Amino acid sequence: MTRIHKQESMLVESRFMWASIVVLVVVCGLMLRLWYIQIYRGDYYREVSERNRVRRIEIPAPRGIIFDRNGEVVLGNRPFYDLVYLRQYVVDKDTTFKIISRLLHVPVTRFEARLEMAQSQPTFLPIPLKRDLSQHEVSIIEANKIFLPGIEVRVAPRRDYGPDVPPHLLGYLKEIDPDALETLNVDNSNNPYLLGDLVGKQGIELRWEKYLRGQRGYSLIQVDSFGRQSQGAEETGITLPSVPAKPGADLELTIDYELQKTAKAAFAGKNGSVVVLNPQTGEVLAAVSEPGFDPKMMQQGVSPEDWRELIENPFKPLLDKSSGGEFAPGSVYKAVVAMAGLEEKVIDENRTFFCPGYYTLGDRRFYCYDRKGHGTVNLQKAIMKSCDVYFYQVGIELGVDRLARYAKAFGLGAKLGIALNMEKPGLIPTSAWKMLTYRLPWAGGDTPNISIGQGYDLVTPMQMANLYATIANGGKVWRPYYVNKVTNHVGETIYEHHPELIRQVAEVSPKTFELVRAALQTVVMDPGGTGKKAQVEGVTVAGKSGSVQVVSLAKNNNKGAMGVSMNWKEHAMFAAFSPTENAEIAVAVVSQNDLVGGGGKSAAPVAGAIIKRFWELKRERSAVAQALKLEEKHGKEEKTKAN
Amino acid sequence: MAKKRRQKQTDGVFLRPEGDLKRPRSPQVMIICLLFALLLTMGLINLYSASIGAGYFKGQIKSLALTLSAFILFGWVIPIRQINAYAYWFFGFICILLVIVDLTGRTAGGAQRWISLGPASFQPSEFAKLAVVMTVARFFSSNRQDSPYTIRDLLPLAAIISVAFFLIVTQPDLGTAGVCCLIAFCQLAFVRIDLKSIGIVVSAVPIIVAMAWNFYLMPYQRLRVLNFVSPELDPRNSGYHALQSLIAVGSGGVFGKGFTMGTQTHLHFLPERHTDFIFSVFAEEHGFWGCALIFIIFGLMTYVALDIARHARDTFSAMLAVGVAALIFLEFSINVAMVMGWFPVVGIPLPLFSFGGSAMLTVCVSLGLLISVNRANSGASKRI
Repeated sequence: MTRIHKQESMLVESRFMWASIVVLVVVCGLMLRLWYIQIYRGDYYREVSERNRVRRIEIPAPRGIIFDRNGEVVLGNRPFYDLVYLRQYVVDKDTTFKIISRLLHVPVTRFEARLEMAQSQPTFLPIPLKRDLSQHEVSIIEANKIFLPGIEVRVAPRRDYGPDVPPHLLGYLKEIDPDALETLNVDNSNNPYLLGDLVGKQGIELRWEKYLRGQRGYSLIQVDSFGRQSQGAEETGITLPSVPAKPGADLELTIDYELQKTAKAAFAGKNGSVVVLNPQTGEVLAAVSEPGFDPKMMQQGVSPEDWRELIENPFKPLLDKSSGGEFAPGSVYKAVVAMAGLEEKVIDENRTFFCPGYYTLGDRRFYCYDRKGHGTVNLQKAIMKSCDVYFYQVGIELGVDRLARYAKAFGLGAKLGIALNMEKPGLIPTSAWKMLTYRLPWAGGDTPNISIGQGYDLVTPMQMANLYATIANGGKVWRPYYVNKVTNHVGETIYEHHPELIRQVAEVSPKTFELVRAALQTVVMDPGGTGKKAQVEGVTVAGKSGSVQVVSLAKNNNKGAMGVSMNWKEHAMFAAFSPTENAEIAVAVVSQNDLVGGGGKSAAPVAGAIIKRFWELKRERSAVAQALKLEEKHGKEEKTKAN
Repeated sequence: MAKKRRQKQTDGVFLRPEGDLKRPRSPQVMIICLLFALLLTMGLINLYSASIGAGYFKGQIKSLALTLSAFILFGWVIPIRQINAYAYWFFGFICILLVIVDLTGRTAGGAQRWISLGPASFQPSEFAKLAVVMTVARFFSSNRQDSPYTIRDLLPLAAIISVAFFLIVTQPDLGTAGVCCLIAFCQLAFVRIDLKSIGIVVSAVPIIVAMAWNFYLMPYQRLRVLNFVSPELDPRNSGYHALQSLIAVGSGGVFGKGFTMGTQTHLHFLPERHTDFIFSVFAEEHGFWGCALIFIIFGLMTYVALDIARHARDTFSAMLAVGVAALIFLEFSINVAMVMGWFPVVGIPLPLFSFGGSAMLTVCVSLGLLISVNRANSGASKRI
């Protein structure tokens, strides 16, 4: 038996002993090394670590710059100076605070509160005492630096908000939530967030956070025991590494900043939203949501009182109403009813209804908004005059579900997928929906209301603009988008957006589109149209007004922020595109609880002003481009002459 | 009767007198479990301290359920016979994953090491260590011979292992690739090899190293090695890391600075303090006696693993246990030596201490295999 064992070339018994000895020797060796470092030379290393001769300073990365489609800066950065407190270097807290308080005229209690707030964070992180110092304050602190150990002025690039920045679209930055920090960092272990970092909280800043934030760098400096940079860097013999910060990637928006400013100015004093689209691509040219808020305040740290005010305001200033506000579309919706009626052969362009000012269904009477009545109306007149009675009857003949099919074909009642966090789907009711939601069958009396865009119907301003863009381009439902291109800090394009077709509305024929466009044109261009205030000289405009009675708010007995009762006012709507054929711009205006009144009176002029400015800008820019071209040509000619 | 006994000798393996096969249920399962639990707890507590202000601790806790169930699965559910049967398949699977990493993997810290699967991502090169252990064991269990192995006998094995080696080196991850090779060499140390063959290999090594240096090493890898040999050559990053890590360990002194009180750690002087340099966090906060305890536990664990291998009933189990011992002890000693400035900076984690689900899973599966082998030895599970 032993002979067999000796011949076996598998495992050799004696080697287990050798292996155990090797393990023992290695462990003893490592133990020896440990003893040498920790005990024999322990005092030396302890001293080195206690002296903190090297300090790491984080260099925050500037966020990417946001440009508009023409290369104009919409949102950039500027250096901010913050006064920070370094706990481990401050000698006497009370004296220090007293000195700063005297220098900056800020009560000591404010600093104490700041310190208290930072109680839970690790000791090594600097605590901001006062943000955004002025140049003057910076020089005062620097001059008195010798009396203020552990107090420093730190420079960091932050957002420089101009007065016209659209806060809802771009979103805002807020200090990172300490609880969210850990979960965020699991995915960002290469480039972790630190306490006190600003992160995008809404809109584009949130959606593109990953691209915009950049990568922080750091530098190591030699410091003395007060935390001040010391001069003898050569002393230790090591060059300290430093890594520069990488700025975030720049975004090029589809927004035309000039047009955005015009829209904001034209909409001033109203609440609601304006959306301007390019009907041929889905590019968002402008998006306004009012009332707004001050993104600068968010960046600086918003006080609880201000925050409560924002939350409690009945007009919801934080909500991006362009894609997150749902409104009954009112008469703007009649274009959809008309197209459904035409396609389902319920009506044709010549069929007429008689409008006595009301319509009777069973024992209920549905009034036309004009109680005098419109007399005999055909399709074109019904749209031009916005006759409710005509559309009540078209809607009833169509039925709710056939109508909903067409509305949904245009992307209504579902999210458009614009990838911003506040987007809402709106609502297009069907009989099945009502059964599911209310456990009630569809009642005949529900149909007249939804046929004129009231009752259950809800759309967002973005959907409204996109609906009219689709009518204008003959049935292409584009996905609206905001960002054309992302360029990283060395100028490489890392993302480029191409227009994305959600669907082609095959349910509606080109002839129907043409008919509806012609009718919509009369709304604006005919002297008897309800939207004639949107007229623009020298170009055709087609559109539709809408006014929605706001009944539900009456129950709330709310007083508006502007001191006007919100109860009895109407939402004023206007949706338009220009020119009527091959449109280049589509606009939707939604004015909530408008002070002036209906869509024709209040919303149409806003749309008109935007369309007017659009064509002006186009003319101006092509003139400039031509001039530049001429100059270039001229230059070349001169060169050839000189040669 | 005699015939039957002879049958057993050629068919099973080897070396122990017959009587030893019927050993009573050994207490080694308990010892392994105890050491494992000790290290795991210490590791998690330490990771908590190292990751204050970052999400690593929570991340590790999340992966704990998976790793612990893998430990139980391999320890008590899957029989060794199955591991033997699928060893080559597992190796092939890992190689495919490594190819995928080379082609598409996520880049972190300058090298592609991860594969992302939705929210989770893993590091196939960690599993490759385990695959090597299994493959070598399988090779010797299915190629038994009476005479010592010569180079020609071992050539197929060398070819298989070098596939994994080159796939990992190209990531590039020289450290892990090196550990894979070392594990295989450790396992080879337990078989009888022709002396002449050893001579040839030993004389070929310098030539291979020289060629690798010139043609294969990335500049930063050369820098690290050079930096280790003479730190004044490049005192920038690598030198700085090594120095800061030394200061952290040294300033721990006899009893350490106390849990979560390490200044080197919490003032962010230490690079990679949650992964490869996690030991310096422990050393700074718990001092000499804490570290000595860890050294003893790792030493003990390796000894127990070797003992389990010694009593194994067949070649595969024995080689598997030897491989696991090599895996754990190599990772431990290289990592600790690196942190204490005795080894160049390579990406080798400290088992059960470093952050990272893949490394954790690998160690847990290894220990599970060890337990499985031990249970088979003591007759707790059926004959293999």
